[in-house]
Amino acid sequence: MKRPRAQLWRQLFYLGLFCAGLCRLSGYAYADTYYVIVAGLGGEPDYEQRFNAEAKDLEKLFKASGSAVRTYALTGQDANSSRLKDTLSTVARAAKPEDDFVLILIGHGSFDGITYKFNLVGPDVSADEIAEMCNRVPSRRQLIVDTSSASGGAIQALRRPGRATVAATKSGTEKNATVFARYWVEALQDPSSDTDKSDSISALEAFTYAAKKTASFYDSQKRLATEHAVFTDVDGGQPVREATAGQGALMSSFTLLRLGNTQQAANDPAKRALLGKKEELEQKIDTLKYQKAAMDPADYKKQLTAMLLDLARVQQELDK
Amino acid sequence: MKQVGHFIAILLLSSTALAVVPADCWRLRKHGQERESQSCFEQLTRSNEEAVRAEGFWGLEEWDRANEQFRLAVHAANGKPIVKVRWGMLLLERFNNKDAADLFREALAQDPSNVDAYLGLAMVSSDSFDGKAMFYISKALELDPKRTKAHELAASVALENDDRDLAATEADKALALDSDALDAMAVRAAIELINERPPDLWLGKVQSINPHYGLAYSHIAHHLELHYRQDDAVAYYRKAVAVDPRLWSAHSDLGIGLMRLGQQEEAQKELEVSYNNGYRDAATVNSLRLLDSYKNYVTVRDETTVLKLKKTESDLLRPYLQDELHRIIVTYNQKYAMKLPGPVQVEVYPDHEDFAVRTMGMPGLGALGVTFGEVIAIDSPSARKPGDFNWGATLWHEMSHVYVLTATKNHVPRWFTEGLAVHEEGERSAEWRNRATPEVLIAIREKKLLSILKLDRGFVYPEYPSQVVVSYFQAGSICDFVKEKWGESKLLEMVHSYAELQATPEVIKHDLGIAPEEFDKQYLVWIDRTFGPEASHFDEWREKLKAIAIAAQDRQWERVIQEGTKALALYPQYVGDGSVYEYLADAYRAKNNPEAEAKVLTAYEHAGGQDPVILKRLAVLEEQGGNKTGSAETLSRINYIYPVNDADLHRHLGDLLYEQKLYGQAAREYTSAVVSHPVDKAGAEFLLAKALLADGRRSEAEESVLAALEIAPGYVPAQKLLLELHQSTEK
Repeated sequence: MKRPRAQLWRQLFYLGLFCAGLCRLSGYAYADTYYVIVAGLGGEPDYEQRFNAEAKDLEKLFKASGSAVRTYALTGQDANSSRLKDTLSTVARAAKPEDDFVLILIGHGSFDGITYKFNLVGPDVSADEIAEMCNRVPSRRQLIVDTSSASGGAIQALRRPGRATVAATKSGTEKNATVFARYWVEALQDPSSDTDKSDSISALEAFTYAAKKTASFYDSQKRLATEHAVFTDVDGGQPVREATAGQGALMSSFTLLRLGNTQQAANDPAKRALLGKKEELEQKIDTLKYQKAAMDPADYKKQLTAMLLDLARVQQELDK
Repeated sequence: MKQVGHFIAILLLSSTALAVVPADCWRLRKHGQERESQSCFEQLTRSNEEAVRAEGFWGLEEWDRANEQFRLAVHAANGKPIVKVRWGMLLLERFNNKDAADLFREALAQDPSNVDAYLGLAMVSSDSFDGKAMFYISKALELDPKRTKAHELAASVALENDDRDLAATEADKALALDSDALDAMAVRAAIELINERPPDLWLGKVQSINPHYGLAYSHIAHHLELHYRQDDAVAYYRKAVAVDPRLWSAHSDLGIGLMRLGQQEEAQKELEVSYNNGYRDAATVNSLRLLDSYKNYVTVRDETTVLKLKKTESDLLRPYLQDELHRIIVTYNQKYAMKLPGPVQVEVYPDHEDFAVRTMGMPGLGALGVTFGEVIAIDSPSARKPGDFNWGATLWHEMSHVYVLTATKNHVPRWFTEGLAVHEEGERSAEWRNRATPEVLIAIREKKLLSILKLDRGFVYPEYPSQVVVSYFQAGSICDFVKEKWGESKLLEMVHSYAELQATPEVIKHDLGIAPEEFDKQYLVWIDRTFGPEASHFDEWREKLKAIAIAAQDRQWERVIQEGTKALALYPQYVGDGSVYEYLADAYRAKNNPEAEAKVLTAYEHAGGQDPVILKRLAVLEEQGGNKTGSAETLSRINYIYPVNDADLHRHLGDLLYEQKLYGQAAREYTSAVVSHPVDKAGAEFLLAKALLADGRRSEAEESVLAALEIAPGYVPAQKLLLELHQSTEK
């Protein structure tokens, strides 16, 4: 499980949720994650090939990430509304409230000013229909990643408490084909997207990586960017392009992909005390970081170094 | 102005009962009788005729009212050509060249023998250096050989073109027609200054006619600017505003000149004076805007360099630029046997429009960099599409100008300083050498290269769209030829000859021992030998390239390889978009032949190919083939092309350098990765810490590892490094 980024801890402090957050860390040790990946209708061979390849890459990554995952990929002719409905019904029946649920849509979308639709083989599926199907999944924590063109037009319909929604475009009017999906996949393939080095990639880390790479793509091509990825993980919140005081907590704590066996130590009773000490030190470091601006730089550095050394020694013990 | 006023007088006297006519008022102003001219113009504003009122308001600097009156006059007079020409002249003075040109053309459509309309078009052309000014002037002179203004304009355009003899002849013709031809006197004075002779005789004549005629000094300054005499130009703009403080155009030009010399505070004041008094042409407005944007720049100084960089990219670019500048200074100090009098200032603009403002008003300047004395302005790599621009080559080019201009005190023809600068790029790296682009091959084939004595014109007044590019090539290749035939030292001797104020014919004769005509002959033989085969096969190459493109689209890889190999032999220098190298590399990749793919991409690299995507592709192949040194060298080349917005490039290059135990260089690349705002900043900081430690920079290493852990406290490898650093300290 990812720890929220430093600034988000502060938000959790203020919201009085700090303890609840910690409790969830251990509570989620045995939860499963359900992934549903859909490669929509490409329309042209190049897009068809690209969407399917990206979906298959994701499927492979998720399947290889551990035993506690259930992955469903709909590509080619299977990417139709009927199969999507069946698949999400299967997930709705199997998933428990503590399990995480992830839906990733890759393809083209459309928006007529009112309704967003994701392009599938046969009838398209609207944002309302997607939301309705996902609402039946009992998972309390959900993530919907819509990488399609015009996907910003879907956000309104997809928002719900406990659900983070990512869209490749800031609104339904950004209608050009997107490249965001390419970098979303790359984020899960590139360990450098794990910016806090926790051996797992959170939804926020993947989003940040993909959004940055997408922006670089347009910049290096000297092209006007026709997509601006956004997310929202607060019911009723406006979509944002980066974590703010009000948004990002769920995205940050939502583990999208595990890179190593981070839960191993938690399952060893002999190391529980050390883990407790580790978490205590991490909290102290976070607290110190909040105070940085108001502190004497030399004093800050001294205290930070001491805490980091303590933490390193604890980790050394844990690794024995 | 006299003749223009004369016909206006005739025209208007016939239709108005006023005591004064516009020509009288303008004449009074030309002779410096400001109070009388003001009163005269005021009288004109009370005329019954719109066109006369327009002249009055114009003279009183009430531009909008003058414009309005001309608009009414054109309607009322049923669009008389004379009124249209005068309206056009007003618009030309008020920075609206497009509408002015339209009015001149409308007048000519109605009256094909309208001399003033031709002169108006000549002025518009002269402003834009589009090379057509002389054509319009000759049209005017065909119609009226005794038009003073036409000869004055011809003199000015000729001097802009560095044709000093023609400039003098035309100025003299103007003076023979009108002893008060002040602008002709200004040209004469400018010629004296350019030839390092005192201009006093001509300036004295100007002063005797009108001691407040600031335009004369302003014109002189303009010509000095075009002859690389920036300091002198500023001095003359100062004189212009001293004698005529209300000459707002000169305040603006002075401000721009001061900017070029790096004197921003005074530049800002002068530009504001101009702006606040209604002189708001594009150059003034954009220069003020640029000055305002300098708050977003940082200035970094050391003993020999001053770097002005945008804050957002200064941490990344500074080390590369500073290192390269130091390397250049050491090389050129030795080569040119001199030292610069002070630090050289390099301004780097990430917004190409800002760079464009810095070069505004200078014809034929390279679009990549520009040198004003000891101030260089260049595009930042981020201002351009990756692969379009090599900042390293540009810096060697511009720095050559700094040395040559300093050595010759700016007395050097355009072709020679540009040629030497192009030559120096190739001396620094064979991959940066002067390349024959398609337009150059066409020019060679069509025998469009200019004689050495006329080469400057190819820069200032191009006669065909690509002539500036061709002229750069030709000037560079002339220096290559001199080196090959007479030796590199001859180039330095030529610099010294120019410093002694010799002109090109004497320099060629004295230093190379042959007449310029003979030089041209020998050079063309050399060009033919060096580039002739490529030029003569150009069409064949182009046809083959088209066929290769189609074959590649159809995935006929054997055919691409077969035809591509032949096409490459015909024109190996072409490394632009869609080059044969790319098609061949794609074909070899499709045929699963990485060795051949790497070989053809290596050839692309050595031919000067600069597309970062292709170079990265080669680097991967080299690494996969076990050639990590080659891979690092290939990636290092990209640092000269597009080091921005690419944290991955720096990180990977750092890894390769670290593996080769080049820890200092690795640390530099990791630093670049850190300041490029990578997604994985903690990772980049950790790698930097490792490289710094390996390089013996322990305390810096600790700073970096702390930075890594501050971002990611649970980062185990960084924790281990921190412990290692502290354990060894505690011991």
